[in-house]
Amino acid sequence: MTLLALPSTREEAWRWSDLSGLPALADAAPRGGRPDVSALWLNAGGPRLLFVDGKLDAAASAPGGLQFGPVAGRAEGHPLARLAEGDGWTLMLSADHAIAGPVEIVHVATGGASHLAGRIALADGAEAGIVETFVGDGWANRLTAMTLGKGARLMRSVRLMQDSGFQSLRDQAEIGDGGSLVSIFLGVGGAGSRIDGALTLAGRGAFAEMGGALLARQDQRHEAAVVLRHAAENGQSAQTWRAVSADSATTSLAARVEVARGAQKTDAEQSLRGLLLKRGATVNLKPELEIFADDVKCAHGATVGELDAAALFYLASRGLLPAQAQALLTRAFVADALERIGDEAVRAAFMSDADRWLEARS
Amino acid sequence: MLNIDNLHATVADKPILKGLTLSLNPGEIHAIMGPNGAGKSTLSYVLGGRPGYEVTGGGATFDGQDLIALAPHERAAAGLFLGFQYPVEIPGVSNVQFLREALNAQRKVRGEAPLSGGDFLKIARAQADAMGMDMDMLKRPVNVGFSGGEKKRNEMVQMGIIDPKLAILDETDSGLDIDALRVVGDGINRIMRKPDKAVLLITHYQRLLDYVRPDFVHVLADGRIVRSGGPELALELEREGYGALAA
Repeated sequence: MTLLALPSTREEAWRWSDLSGLPALADAAPRGGRPDVSALWLNAGGPRLLFVDGKLDAAASAPGGLQFGPVAGRAEGHPLARLAEGDGWTLMLSADHAIAGPVEIVHVATGGASHLAGRIALADGAEAGIVETFVGDGWANRLTAMTLGKGARLMRSVRLMQDSGFQSLRDQAEIGDGGSLVSIFLGVGGAGSRIDGALTLAGRGAFAEMGGALLARQDQRHEAAVVLRHAAENGQSAQTWRAVSADSATTSLAARVEVARGAQKTDAEQSLRGLLLKRGATVNLKPELEIFADDVKCAHGATVGELDAAALFYLASRGLLPAQAQALLTRAFVADALERIGDEAVRAAFMSDADRWLEARS
Repeated sequence: MLNIDNLHATVADKPILKGLTLSLNPGEIHAIMGPNGAGKSTLSYVLGGRPGYEVTGGGATFDGQDLIALAPHERAAAGLFLGFQYPVEIPGVSNVQFLREALNAQRKVRGEAPLSGGDFLKIARAQADAMGMDMDMLKRPVNVGFSGGEKKRNEMVQMGIIDPKLAILDETDSGLDIDALRVVGDGINRIMRKPDKAVLLITHYQRLLDYVRPDFVHVLADGRIVRSGGPELALELEREGYGALAA
């Protein structure tokens, strides 16, 4: 039996988590094999990696300049991510070395647990996009450490689509002067998830965004816990999260903005919104601001509600079935968050994944 | 086509309609006028099936079918269109997207084949043109950022696209300037003035009736029809006010 030291729900940062399924998954043996993931590639022309249970399937991958082996980057004591320290993939890019399209990584879990690290290091002026997709069943545990140099830009999009099991992701980033990191997550499928973010705007005029749409049904649990730290002047950040809970599901968002002493002219924006599709569903929201500078702008909003009854009746009066009207309004609700994905093809793919979730309900 | 018989309805347990009886035949346009609080909007919502508007007595049939037993979307599929006094703004949902889905949902109930995107856009463009509405507006989120007049025009564009048998139009003239009033009036005539269709025009003022000439005018007061007549009744009301009539 694997001895797992898991955080307890008595700890504030884990109070909404349900990690009770992890020990059994850690002990289970993956079935392995090579599942058909052809429908998941966006064919954007960039490098592609297929990991099955955390192991690179070289025959199904086209890694371009990505490297494999020990990954530099520590989990900063994170109780799940520290299990993922060690081997994994690294993308190092300089300004004069562009890639044709976003890096695509598909992670397939076949039961059991897999731990994998990833590192993205963009040198000054470098630009990259990355799309990660999680499918299958089992526990996928990931650590992704990112460093962005001066003026570097990274667009990261992650979709959590496992049918069952658990997906735990820990993102760490340090963003240099004028650098920009946008990370957007979509939680659909049937597995629970925990997304952790620790992003630091280390350079002046940096931009960081972390947000997304988490849709949960039945007794599923999605959870995101993000700390976004402004450590230098003139930084801008955004967190746009949309949480949808149906049936008896629970979606939880804890989003924190820290503004360090001296991080003047910070402009931070936080929008957390929850939607309850059934009376027995739960959305937890915990917006937090900690500000040690005096010349900053921090906008924040947190609301939970049901679909607008007037809008539902308006749509029904035009002939839409109740489930169709509900799906249409829910789609509009999550689109707010997914529209932040800059790449049109990626955005369209994520939107249609959200649509499939909505159609399965209607 | 529409037979309302001794209809009683409550909103939040408060009786609003208190025995309303009214019949519309194909080819007829009826106007319902009345003072504020008479129950005009309640009548439109009850006929449309809005949750929270409860029928406590009497009933209504539409082409022989029990209208009250149908869900709102089933009433729409049966051919009933409700024009809202305050059309709802729906951020993130485009007009064309929702209308195509709505129209195809109606067609499915009626056993008709769905319209393709191209066929639908052709119809939508024709109706938008007829109402002097820019097609770009129809691609924008439903009523978001529309002026009062634009929202009412949009209701008429939707009515044109859906092409219903029976339209219940709740104060479609409110918030319109004279030019918009003419456009909306022309729209109602063009879409609905047909031998197999009927309109129930709910209005506070006579002015829309200059453009859409009703065959019958009814006065609604305290939840009942208290007087019925021809178009001349609307003029009389305009001259003498509701007070004199109710007395």
